[in-house]
Amino acid sequence: MQCPDDTSLNTPEERTCLSSAQRRAEIRRRKLLMNSEDRMNRIVGFTKAEAENNGSSRSVTAPVFHLDLDRSDSWSTYPSPRLSPFLPEAVGSSHPHSDLPGYPLPDTSEVLCGGVDKDVTPGVRQRPRGEAQLAADEPSHSGSPRRGLQKYLSRFDDAMKLRGQLANEKQAQEAASSDPDELDSFRLFRLVGSVLLAIFVRVFVCKYLVEKKMQTTVLTAALLLSGIPAEVINRSMDTYKKMGDVFADLCVYFFTFILSHEILLLVGPEEAETP
Amino acid sequence: MAAGCAWFLVLGSVFLCNLFKTLLPTISSFLLKVLQKDAEQERDMRAEIQEMKKEHNSVSMMDEFARYARLERKINKMTDKLKTHVKSRTAQQAKMKWMVNIGFYILQAALMISLIWKYYADPVTVVPSKWIAPLEQLVAFPSGVAGGVGITCWLVVCNKVASIGLHTIS
Repeated sequence: MQCPDDTSLNTPEERTCLSSAQRRAEIRRRKLLMNSEDRMNRIVGFTKAEAENNGSSRSVTAPVFHLDLDRSDSWSTYPSPRLSPFLPEAVGSSHPHSDLPGYPLPDTSEVLCGGVDKDVTPGVRQRPRGEAQLAADEPSHSGSPRRGLQKYLSRFDDAMKLRGQLANEKQAQEAASSDPDELDSFRLFRLVGSVLLAIFVRVFVCKYLVEKKMQTTVLTAALLLSGIPAEVINRSMDTYKKMGDVFADLCVYFFTFILSHEILLLVGPEEAETP
Repeated sequence: MAAGCAWFLVLGSVFLCNLFKTLLPTISSFLLKVLQKDAEQERDMRAEIQEMKKEHNSVSMMDEFARYARLERKINKMTDKLKTHVKSRTAQQAKMKWMVNIGFYILQAALMISLIWKYYADPVTVVPSKWIAPLEQLVAFPSGVAGGVGITCWLVVCNKVASIGLHTIS
């Protein structure tokens, strides 16, 4: 009895079409297929750039992934219009689409044979469970689903490669993490230098500035009370402060000059006296 | 040699004066401790007030009102006495500080005047006049020696440098 094309399994006639083993297989396959779309979307989204650049690469190492482009109940043993990209189509199999371009997919038939269900329609070898009948009963279709399958397969390959590369890089980074000794010492030097500079500025500079401000407060108040505008007072204070700083610099310069002169005079005659 | 060390003598005197000035608060408090003999009395009064307050807290007002009131009067009296004592001590402290400061300024003025008197006519040191041109006249005041450094200029410079240095250190 030929099962109808309708993919629903709810009618009694359809149930009778399947044996118990096939039913179990179909349930398992459906369970796997439920999340395949999400998985593939994740992979495809991750490796989209690599997939577009690399083209087709067929070295798949993790089989048992199925991509059902059309998620519906007709996936089970009934023909669906599209194929999974991981569907390994055996070479020389009696597939209705074997004469189409791009058929069969190279190098996948021997790898993606993780869940071949031997209870499915014969003539389709090395297929995941339930996919064999799906492929066997597939109606005539254009090459675009096959191209889509190839595309998804290539993306999966790239994703697996990238995962391997990332793992290798991580290992290399961990192995090469032995030379931050130089960085650590330099960083420590920078930190210590920053700490010392901050302490110096806080202790010597800020204290000096604060004290000066406090000294002019009473004078400023007295000048304000006498009627002088605040702006004039501020400008005058700034000017006098700068003049005071200049005078202090001149005094320090002159003092150092005279002191060094006297020291040279003192040292000079002693050097002349010694033989 | 004595003439050659004039600059050093002036520098040393100015440096000591400035150092003494920074230590004035310490000196005044030390003198106060030495001259004021009733510091112990104040300490005893404070201790007594503490004891009475402890006893006052332990006594129940409802049960022993008379004792409670008596203690409270004693505490108030002792506190007033302590306040008076602290006021007089603070006044003495301020007076001592003022006297020490005045004494210091008088000593400093005397030292400066004596230095100026000594080196009025002679410069503390002499350098080639071209080195300090065009300010040689101002620097040489009041000695008038060409290329010399006068006592007033050297005093001002040393005071400024000493105050900056000691301020930085303190």
